[in-house]
Amino acid sequence: MNRKNISLVFKKEIQGAIRDRRTLISMIVVPLIFYPLLFLGIGYFSVIGQRNSENIPSLISITGAENSPELIEILKKDKNITIIHSENNLDDKLVADNIQLTIDIPEQIEIERDYRENNKIIPLSLNMHYDSTAQNSLVAKKRVSLLIDAFRRKIIEERLNKIGLNSDFLEPFREQWLDIAPEEKKIGFMLGSILPYLVIILIFVGAMHTAVDITAGEKERGTLATLLVSQLSRLEIVSGKYFSVMVISAISMLLGMVGLSIAFLVPAYLLGEVSIINVHFSFTLFLLFLLILAPLVGFASAILILIGIFARNSREASSYTTPIYMVAIFLGMISLSQGIELAQPLFFIPILNNSFVFKELLMGTIDWNHITATLISNIGIALLALFGTVKLFNRESVIFRS
Amino acid sequence: MIKVHHLKKEFFDKKGGKIEAVNDINFHCLKSQIFGLLGPNGAGKTTTLRILATMMKPTAGEALVNGYQVVKEAHKVRQSIGFLSGETGLYDRFTPRETILFFGRINGLSEKLISTRMSDIFKILDMESFKDVRVDKLSTGMKQKLSIARAIIHNPPILILDEPTAGLDVITARVVVNYIKEFRNQGKCIIFSTHQMAEAEKLCDEIAIIHKGKILSSGTLAELQAKFQEQDLEEIFFKLVKVKAEGEV
Repeated sequence: MNRKNISLVFKKEIQGAIRDRRTLISMIVVPLIFYPLLFLGIGYFSVIGQRNSENIPSLISITGAENSPELIEILKKDKNITIIHSENNLDDKLVADNIQLTIDIPEQIEIERDYRENNKIIPLSLNMHYDSTAQNSLVAKKRVSLLIDAFRRKIIEERLNKIGLNSDFLEPFREQWLDIAPEEKKIGFMLGSILPYLVIILIFVGAMHTAVDITAGEKERGTLATLLVSQLSRLEIVSGKYFSVMVISAISMLLGMVGLSIAFLVPAYLLGEVSIINVHFSFTLFLLFLLILAPLVGFASAILILIGIFARNSREASSYTTPIYMVAIFLGMISLSQGIELAQPLFFIPILNNSFVFKELLMGTIDWNHITATLISNIGIALLALFGTVKLFNRESVIFRS
Repeated sequence: MIKVHHLKKEFFDKKGGKIEAVNDINFHCLKSQIFGLLGPNGAGKTTTLRILATMMKPTAGEALVNGYQVVKEAHKVRQSIGFLSGETGLYDRFTPRETILFFGRINGLSEKLISTRMSDIFKILDMESFKDVRVDKLSTGMKQKLSIARAIIHNPPILILDEPTAGLDVITARVVVNYIKEFRNQGKCIIFSTHQMAEAEKLCDEIAIIHKGKILSSGTLAELQAKFQEQDLEEIFFKLVKVKAEGEV
């Protein structure tokens, strides 16, 4: 095996790839522009939507308003609440009359307001109907429940006063919660919830087009035959192609990490949730990311090259890569779930292990057992796939399949 | 320069079982000679040429190219051959200059030699005007010229041409045919496959009629005409195929 020959194939593939608009789109545009825009857009519109709905007054239909004038007064004081009196509240009103919430105030609501000793208190139900699928209805529910809670506290305080007690009687202690997580860990937790999944997708998306184009595509265009009759050995051809796919995939991943970090940190900083000044990743952490992700890039490239060589043409290769992509998405998605802890043997499952170790690293945990298992499994499978690719490349029935 | 002795190639198909693509063929091709493999699609021409170009291994028999065995000395065989097929086999996103540089390099030529050879070839094939234009912008004729340039950049003594005029218009096909003649005059040994009788008649010094993996007859055009009492190569071909079919019945 001659390194110069591998380098010739590698340079040829890279040169071809950077002149291919589709590769540039999947390698640069998607990770660096499309992903940040997508997430910034989603974030922007959800914030705007939430703010808009919070600014819209809530229209509330009330029956039995005469049963609790005080409650009505409390509700009326809120500028964002508009009350309509009704004979009977039907759920249809929520839809038909653009009403966000209905309240039925029972007749006896204030009967038991004045507490008397030995009096038996039966709490009454205040029935409220809302639509959990409508944002405006949820906002109305939030507004009304705050006001009703204040009303309830007021009644309790009055009752306690009657028997010579105050509200401290019901509060033996006050809760004090202190978040000890440092800013970096908070950011790591935020990024770790979705970044590993997206990075895994980027690795596959970045590698997919080039891998298919330089294997099945070359078969289809008849250019592979010209390499086979040259001085290059088949191992040199496979190696050159493999390294080029790895580089394209790695660039896609790195640009994706930059793009996604921008997409997550900028809105978080603007909303004041994290201090961007506190964001610093150590060089060691950066090296650990590379250590974890490089074998995954190698693994993805080897699998995709293997499929590309096996397929008759680009279309067939694309069909074969789709299930691989789906499996990658599925394994990556497991990391999105909060509270799932992987047992040590499960760290030998590729992709899954990467996403969990990546998540751990983002949160500042360095578990060498997990890292080692991840490295062994990814490198091992990548080598097996490469071995399989070279074997396939030597099979006439595969190379000349049409 | 090329010697083929009892060459056999079998494929195994899940549905069709054993397929004898090349069945015990023998021929030889000398320096300054164009040897034509003439036969219909599926006759075994491409398989034979792929074996000679070391892309495939024979099931049995032997093939020597420039004195080297195609299986055991594949690397040396590849140094001796230039391969060209109807599929131009070019990289769309490269220019002719980049294509030739790449193929010169992977064939082990020095940068200086590539530069000299490229300059000569571009002049001979009249490619100067489009040497820096991307391949996907070139006409079919230009592409075929580039394919020829790619096949001869390392100045191989033997050219293996698999239906090099297939799919080309008459003018481009004529250009390719003229270059093939020119290469013969330069002393190269050329093995050439075609299913076009007229092309074989015009170009080949020796013709082998191949059908269903077997060479039915071979010789110069004059020898074949005398043997079958026919002037037209097409008639000779049909006579041979008919005789074979009757024999099989």
